[in-house]
Amino acid sequence: MARMKFLCDADRCIECNACVTACKNEHEVPWGINRRRVVTINDGKPGERSVSMACMHCTDAPCAAVCPVNCFYTTADAVVLHSKDLCIGCGYCFYACPFGAPQYPKVGNFGSRGKMDKCTFCAGGPEADGSKAEYEKYGANRLAEGKLPLCAEMCSTKSLLAGDGEIIAQIYKERVTKRGYGSGAWGWKTAYRESIDT
Amino acid sequence: MLIKKTHRARSETASRGSVAEALAGQATGLDRRTFLRRSGLAGGGLAALSALQVGSVRKAEAAVVGPLTAGAVSKKNICTHCSVGCTVIGEVVNGVWVGQEPGWDSPINRGSHCAKGAATRELVHGDRRLRYPMKLVDGQWTRISWDVAINEIGDKINQIRGKSGADSVYWLGSAKFTNEGAYLFRKFGAFWGTNNIDHQARICHSTTVAGVANTWGYGAMTNSYTDIRNSKTIVIMGGNPAEAHPVSLQHVLEGKELQRANMVVIDPRMTRTAAHATEYVRIRSGTDIAVIWGMLWHVFKNGWEDKQFIEQRVYGMDDIRKEVEKYPPDVVEQVTGVPGAQLERVAKMFATQKPSTLIWCMGATQHTVGTANVRAFCIALLATGNVGAPGTGANIFRGHTNVQGATDLGLDVVTLPLYYGLVEGAWRHWSRVWEVPYEWFVDRFDKNTAADGKVTNTMNTPGIPSTRWFDATLYDKKDVSQKDNIKAMMVFGHCGNTVTRMPDAQKGIEALELLVVADPHPTTWAALAPARKNNTYLLPIATSYETDGSRTSSNRAIQWGERIVKPIFESKDDNEVMYLLAKKLGFADTLFKNIKVENNVPVVEDILREINRGGWSTGYCGQSPERLKSHMVNQKDFDMLTQKATTGPNKGDYYGLPWPCWGTPEFKHPGTPLLYNTNLSVKEGGGTFRPRFGVEREETLPDGTKRKVSLLGNGYYSKDSEIKDGYPEFTLGVLKKLGWDKDLTEAELAVIQKVNAANPDAVSWALDLSGGIQRVAIEHGCVPYGNGKARANAFGLPDAIPTHREPIYTPRPELVAKYPTLPNARQFRMPNIGFDVQKAAVDKGIAKQFPLILTSGRLVEYEGGGEETRSNKWLAELQQDMFIEINPSDAAERGIKDGAWVWVTGAEHSSKARMKALVTERVGKGVTWCPFHFAGWFQGVDQRGNYPKGADPVVLGESVNGITTYGFDPVTGMQEPKATLCQVRAA
Amino acid sequence: MASLGRLFRLALGATLGTWALLLLVALAAPVQAQQPSSVNPTASSVKEQQLLQELNRIQGRVSIPDKRSGMLEQPGRDWRNFHEVTLRWIGGIVILGMLAVLVIFYLTRGQVRLESGRSGRTVVRFNAFERLVHWMTATCFIVLAISGLNITFGRPLLIPLIGLEAFSDWSQWAKYGHNYLSFPFTIGVILIFLMWIAGNIPDKTDVEWIKRGGGLLGHDHPPAKHFNAGQKMIYWIVVLGGGAVAITGYLLMFPFYTAGIEGMQVAQVVHSIVAVLFVAAMLAHIYIGSIGMEGAFEAMGTGNVDVNWAKEHHSLWLEQQKAAGTDARPAAAPAE
Repeated sequence: MARMKFLCDADRCIECNACVTACKNEHEVPWGINRRRVVTINDGKPGERSVSMACMHCTDAPCAAVCPVNCFYTTADAVVLHSKDLCIGCGYCFYACPFGAPQYPKVGNFGSRGKMDKCTFCAGGPEADGSKAEYEKYGANRLAEGKLPLCAEMCSTKSLLAGDGEIIAQIYKERVTKRGYGSGAWGWKTAYRESIDT
Repeated sequence: MLIKKTHRARSETASRGSVAEALAGQATGLDRRTFLRRSGLAGGGLAALSALQVGSVRKAEAAVVGPLTAGAVSKKNICTHCSVGCTVIGEVVNGVWVGQEPGWDSPINRGSHCAKGAATRELVHGDRRLRYPMKLVDGQWTRISWDVAINEIGDKINQIRGKSGADSVYWLGSAKFTNEGAYLFRKFGAFWGTNNIDHQARICHSTTVAGVANTWGYGAMTNSYTDIRNSKTIVIMGGNPAEAHPVSLQHVLEGKELQRANMVVIDPRMTRTAAHATEYVRIRSGTDIAVIWGMLWHVFKNGWEDKQFIEQRVYGMDDIRKEVEKYPPDVVEQVTGVPGAQLERVAKMFATQKPSTLIWCMGATQHTVGTANVRAFCIALLATGNVGAPGTGANIFRGHTNVQGATDLGLDVVTLPLYYGLVEGAWRHWSRVWEVPYEWFVDRFDKNTAADGKVTNTMNTPGIPSTRWFDATLYDKKDVSQKDNIKAMMVFGHCGNTVTRMPDAQKGIEALELLVVADPHPTTWAALAPARKNNTYLLPIATSYETDGSRTSSNRAIQWGERIVKPIFESKDDNEVMYLLAKKLGFADTLFKNIKVENNVPVVEDILREINRGGWSTGYCGQSPERLKSHMVNQKDFDMLTQKATTGPNKGDYYGLPWPCWGTPEFKHPGTPLLYNTNLSVKEGGGTFRPRFGVEREETLPDGTKRKVSLLGNGYYSKDSEIKDGYPEFTLGVLKKLGWDKDLTEAELAVIQKVNAANPDAVSWALDLSGGIQRVAIEHGCVPYGNGKARANAFGLPDAIPTHREPIYTPRPELVAKYPTLPNARQFRMPNIGFDVQKAAVDKGIAKQFPLILTSGRLVEYEGGGEETRSNKWLAELQQDMFIEINPSDAAERGIKDGAWVWVTGAEHSSKARMKALVTERVGKGVTWCPFHFAGWFQGVDQRGNYPKGADPVVLGESVNGITTYGFDPVTGMQEPKATLCQVRAA
Repeated sequence: MASLGRLFRLALGATLGTWALLLLVALAAPVQAQQPSSVNPTASSVKEQQLLQELNRIQGRVSIPDKRSGMLEQPGRDWRNFHEVTLRWIGGIVILGMLAVLVIFYLTRGQVRLESGRSGRTVVRFNAFERLVHWMTATCFIVLAISGLNITFGRPLLIPLIGLEAFSDWSQWAKYGHNYLSFPFTIGVILIFLMWIAGNIPDKTDVEWIKRGGGLLGHDHPPAKHFNAGQKMIYWIVVLGGGAVAITGYLLMFPFYTAGIEGMQVAQVVHSIVAVLFVAAMLAHIYIGSIGMEGAFEAMGTGNVDVNWAKEHHSLWLEQQKAAGTDARPAAAPAE
């Protein structure tokens, strides 16, 4: 079983935001919704690192656990998806998510939340793969086409890796061995309760 | 669970299978190539493999389940936002660009993009594009037809020509033209009869071109982006490629990792690039020469220089030694702020841990000493023997898709296409290529009568640089050395906010009799001067993605981009507009004599073939459209590291046939991936320094005696050369002396005879339209242009030996007496009064009133003047406000909080700009930094209403050039936006 | 409750952490203004685990204006545990516990009867406006309580019964109800606070009343003013509890206007705990106001209570009414 994961090699990430616009491009994500974002820590100081962050598709995902209407599900690839038909926009997944992944379009009155939107690992939603309905609600389904998430595919420095967790961990490990430094797989401990020993 | 995915099982098998295979392929061994593939391709690599392997399955599947990409056609074009040359793949359904896929096969970007490249599709959504031609009628934008537009514009410029002369119409071109477009525009300028024709290179790397060409022959990046992977020491000075050229960082960072290379960033600002360096050196803006001389001081003192290299390949290094002695560590620290020990460490790395490369950008070039800066950089490379081999070289990162190509093709005030210059010989050469009598051009140009009564034909005098068009509009007529002031601006694809001193530009726009903006967007030109109510035209032009043609990346490789979709709305591409205008002006038939025109659209392949027929001097002669197209189709055959095709129809070629690609296309020269590389024979892309400045020079020794010194190579030569020493450029005469003229064919000799019937022996490799002289020289292992020395002493330039000169507006006025800027002089038909301005600034104590250094640079999300990228909602969302970076201590002194509004005031014109403060240690104390992409606010006023409705960019903001100041490089007219002064206060 | 405590500690920690960070920056600033002569940015990387240990969160800078997205990693697991485990236990215990207590009480004590029987004469206890406010608040409360409990308990209890789609539809409406009815509810709480504050200041009589257990167990009738100590308790539960749920509720309804993510986590914890306690208290209130006590409902039903009822439960208040001459009048209708 492939276990899909993201890994951002912060020693490579240059905050070019290609992942962000690739996501907008692939899924036509509207203004104000940021399924992926790049956060820079220690901005402007020695030690500065940037990390591209989206839904990490956690093991035992907290969003799924706290959802009052149980709208989340996990695919065979361990991608955490949700049904916008079931979502009531309560915001609980946002309180539970360690990575700030859930996004809510502002709809209707007093800034109340619409249906939650988040990174799908380019795997769409519950509708039939590649269907128009799926695209409109969740964006493209690249996984069904045998392609990986566009953010990682277009990453300028090959910093953002997406794919089978074991393979990308292996790639990262070898990179660190070769170059002699590495600030670690950001978010892995929180998301997958594991880290990559290098 | 209620949710079941019907297709899940099947598609998972597909992707997982391929992922597993990819893993299997990577499982063992850790040799260099495996690792390259693994780490390099990494996430991308996996994806690449999986995409390839399930490619065929995917299409069938997509046809069934993917309504979006069903029946999609893939089109390859080149990203327009910097010079790396990333392949953009557009998926087109029914003429609509519906998706973008990574271009895995590209040996340059390997699928990668930056924010801009990954958002290119939105440009062709066209949310904020111009939809139809418009003109300003009493201050109102009014829709007109193309016919009306072309007619009225043509009549108007003819009228100006009649009254004020051809030079009064300024033709501002674009680095986003294709090569064919750039060439056509330059040719158009020649047919119109002016050298007042320029483009963005003026304000980005004109000083690089001048400085580098004056050192070793050609003004371009010597190596390539991917070759940086071979470097052991990478020095990036005055550049922030992490934001300006993000995909280049793929090669820089991977190279750094694989080689465990030193990566040194020398910059006033701890940039995002510096965040990944192994050493960061903070310098004061505008002190680059002092820094380099400070490094060389250590190099020479410790004997780290490459003595053999200098002996064989460099002229005048002793003059440099003398100058460098004036820069001991204490002086350098005092001037630049860099501690001696750090500079010594960097110097040692650079000189001893080789190969070393020096990468620079506009931090080096955009100065009053830009050319001298660049010269100093080249000299540092020469002194340490770091030119002409893998991993070395001057890796100059340029800013647009085709700024290299547009420069090569002469969108420039000092030359005809391909650096032939403006001398009679150059005009005669192109007259032959264009099959138009030379005399016809002589008539087309204005005759200028100087104050002393001397009459010159302006065809031989450099035009007015784009940095000073408004001075040429506003100055007293007698101060401008041409028939009249600039009266009309024809602006094709050039923002109006990228040139310094915008308050003057605003007045200039008001004074123009005609303003034509031909661009996908209205640009700042349309909005800056609301006092302008009439005689302004906007022509909607297609983006580069809507046009076919070739583009030259920084590494001189030429890529063929195909039109992804037809021009949207009523847009037309540049070539068509030029044709329509030429038709209106009456010279279309001669201009397009050898170029087929179909439905008003010139055939781009014909244009490229014409370039091939005339492009001998720079080796633009071998890159036929057929060869370039084949490279694009067979990208996968090229090796990323060497850029060489290992298989397929182009086997042996270097990707994109980087110029010089000698001889005719049939000669099949593979292109030159590294300039001046003596390890390869010329036939395989090798070369030597170009003896461009004579074969010998008379020097005057200190005792007054004179001696002649050879400028030819001294005992070095490229591989397989039959001449084992330096030699001059090849002419028929030289061939005869060597007895090689017998190798010329009858046909070649006939052409040579035709070129110069009176004196065929004088016909050189650059003028021979048959390519025979090049062919014969290369077959004997020789470089057509000769084998010379690079010049450490560039005699003839204002600063033949670079020397530190304080910026016009310096925060250290006490240093001006010792390091003054150059004296006033007339350059490019205009006076340059930099010396007076600097003196006045010192006398008036400007540095006290404006104590902060103001410098500028790029953001990754935007490009250039930014109208295009700020109109792209996917990008605009990421940077919604103009800001100024300020150090926490400076901010605290002024009571400025992070994110708060501030007023920034400039040293001239009582200029001011309102923007947000970004309080950060990225800039040192006393330094501020602004991005230069914003416009649409001016001196605190929001100008959104001045744009045509619906074509205003999503994000507007103050342009930093609203507060930048006077200062021009004497060699190229480059502006000074990187070192000026400002004051900041809370708003 | 351990996790709850931790969440509150976090809330405090967040504030302290920010200060610590500022202090750190302030201390570091003079050092870094003078760049050390050797900076190796590659070697001096920030470390994820170190940041997490120090501040329990990782905060950075983002280019988008939505600054809260600069939070790279934030604590969430504690809140998740609270929501999934702690809250369900607390809620279950207090609500089911209260129901159990009431049932036992009813079975053992039975209805508190009107011992002296009906006098046939009534006295006005709550005017129409008071009753309107009460019932507005009460109906809102019932909808809020049910829709609120649905969010916490619906998933384990209702989904197995009605399925995901139906539950989602219902919950969507419940969410709208919860959000919109919060406004009249809040108004009601404010009016209740203003309307009845005078009668609800605790005094000596309350001590006596409490000492005598409110007379609930025997046949005792401790004296009471307009509101006895039990009613005062309900009043303050409504005013303080209502206020608390209203404030925390609005924090959640208008995300990020005032509270950050951790603020909202704390708000949700407070909101839900207060709410379940509130529900439990209201169950008792409803019991005693309906089947628990004969004659009590009329006070909020018609607004008039039987004089004998008043005598038994609010003797001091009846005295006051008599003295003020606004005492009993014949019942307009049989008080049945």
